[in-house]
Amino acid sequence: MRFRTVLLLVVLGLLLVAAATFRILITRGLDGGLSFSFPEEQYLIYRLVPLVSALIVGSALGVSGMGLQVLLRNPLASPWILGLSSGAGLGVMAIMFAEHSTGMTFVGGQTIGAVVGAIMSLVLVYALSRRRGGIDPMSMVLVGVVISVLCGSGIMIFQHLVPMGLRGSFTTWLMGSLPEIESWQRLGILGALVLGCTWLVAWWGPTLDAVCLSDDEATSVGVNLPSIRLRLFLVSSVLAAIGVILAGPIAFVGLIAPHGARLMMRCSHRVLTIGTAILGALLLIAADDVRQLVDFGTGRLPIGIVTSIIGGLLFLVLLVRGRGRV
Amino acid sequence: MRLQLSELGVRFGERTAITGINAGIDGGRIIAVLGPNASGKTTLLRTIAGLQLPSQGSVELDGARVDRMSPHDRASKLAWVPCVAEVAGSFTIRRVVELGRYAIGPSTTRVDDALARVDLLDRSESTWFTASAGMRQRTAIARALAQRTPGGMLVLDEPTSALDLRHLKLMGELLRQCATDGDIVVAAMHDIAFAMELADEVLVLRDGQLVLAGETHAVLTPSSLGDVFGVDLAWAKDDAGKRHLVIP
Repeated sequence: MRFRTVLLLVVLGLLLVAAATFRILITRGLDGGLSFSFPEEQYLIYRLVPLVSALIVGSALGVSGMGLQVLLRNPLASPWILGLSSGAGLGVMAIMFAEHSTGMTFVGGQTIGAVVGAIMSLVLVYALSRRRGGIDPMSMVLVGVVISVLCGSGIMIFQHLVPMGLRGSFTTWLMGSLPEIESWQRLGILGALVLGCTWLVAWWGPTLDAVCLSDDEATSVGVNLPSIRLRLFLVSSVLAAIGVILAGPIAFVGLIAPHGARLMMRCSHRVLTIGTAILGALLLIAADDVRQLVDFGTGRLPIGIVTSIIGGLLFLVLLVRGRGRV
Repeated sequence: MRLQLSELGVRFGERTAITGINAGIDGGRIIAVLGPNASGKTTLLRTIAGLQLPSQGSVELDGARVDRMSPHDRASKLAWVPCVAEVAGSFTIRRVVELGRYAIGPSTTRVDDALARVDLLDRSESTWFTASAGMRQRTAIARALAQRTPGGMLVLDEPTSALDLRHLKLMGELLRQCATDGDIVVAAMHDIAFAMELADEVLVLRDGQLVLAGETHAVLTPSSLGDVFGVDLAWAKDDAGKRHLVIP
């Protein structure tokens, strides 16, 4: 690993620690004023839970986006643009609706719903984008947008079907928000899954590098393309689903984090995966920091709105800087 | 090493790309695959390289069917150079060449040697995105050189289409060196004069069928090639009687 790459990873790590510290210390008082102090013990958990969630969700979305971009050889691929997030959201909504209708609680239901929804969306996008035996990148983005819209419609139908009182919580979930109350056990399991998936993708790094060649070239250097595509397909879907389970649909992190890491590092996917995971977590924690700073007098903004604004602007900058080759 | 094509055919739906191709090629020979546009050259080369499954017949390398080899086995026996190389990542030229060693194992010496042989060693840290078409083509050739096992097979689809005269000559020397090392070199070419100078044998395709095959200078004549391409051809030789100028 080159010195510059190591240095960049260290700097990203330090920024992550700084953003996390900022998140712990920043306090908005009842009068709306901002102050910096270590929270009292009983309030600390309400800062640590969203912080750990942001760490998990940001890394998951970043690595998922990177995997999809390599899998589909499409720089515009991300869990959000390809409809994975909305597919997972539809799955979660379907389970929430079923739980509401039956009065039962399905153990692990939302997790299963999100994973199944994400995988089904990706399968549909993948199948409908095939042209002459290959994947057409432009078709893939268009199909992804259509699937996203269809899943969005499905989500709205579920919203319409639940009683008025429940619609508010459905809408808040749809805007994307980091949980302030979550069991450490669940966070631990999801965190371990994200860590495991990130390790797997990093382990496959040299293969991911070779997959960046054309299909013929990758096959000729010895890559088993169907195998790595299936593995990436599953891991990216699981990671996107974890993001949705914890925070709802969060836009742009899965698109920006891999591009940002690539622009900074220009190295093998083994290191890039680690950089992308750190940058994804950093983006989401920074977005949460921004959220604490902005007060319109109507409560804090949902984090999904902040990531959309920051991510959209950053993506425009990347597009202009890279002249369309981000 | 011996390459054997037996009744080889490829169909894409209703369309026949190549059909009934038989040929046997020994190591140490350079084979030029010639023919008009859409005559099946790329399909033939992709099938030889194991990248396209044959609809009929077989491609065998020392008696083993290429399409049934494991990716690792195939990568260690044959290297492929496409007409236009594609790289989707933000890689340096060196990294693209290193990918040739993906299945075989890293070797800085082999990568440096390959880069030097295509005249890219001093540009190896340039990014792929900033490379010219000629540099990209030389990078793809360098990747194949880093990957190849002497005595194996090199399959190249129009490997000189973007090269300037100096690098065209360099590439001719490189391919000859590979053949001297015992490789089978199979290359599709549009430059007839270059093919006549370089190739030991030719396979000439028209409408997916092998219409001419054999020793280069015995098979290629103005009239035989004129028939295949549908134009009147004339050619001249230089004073030494070696280099050809082919004029349509």
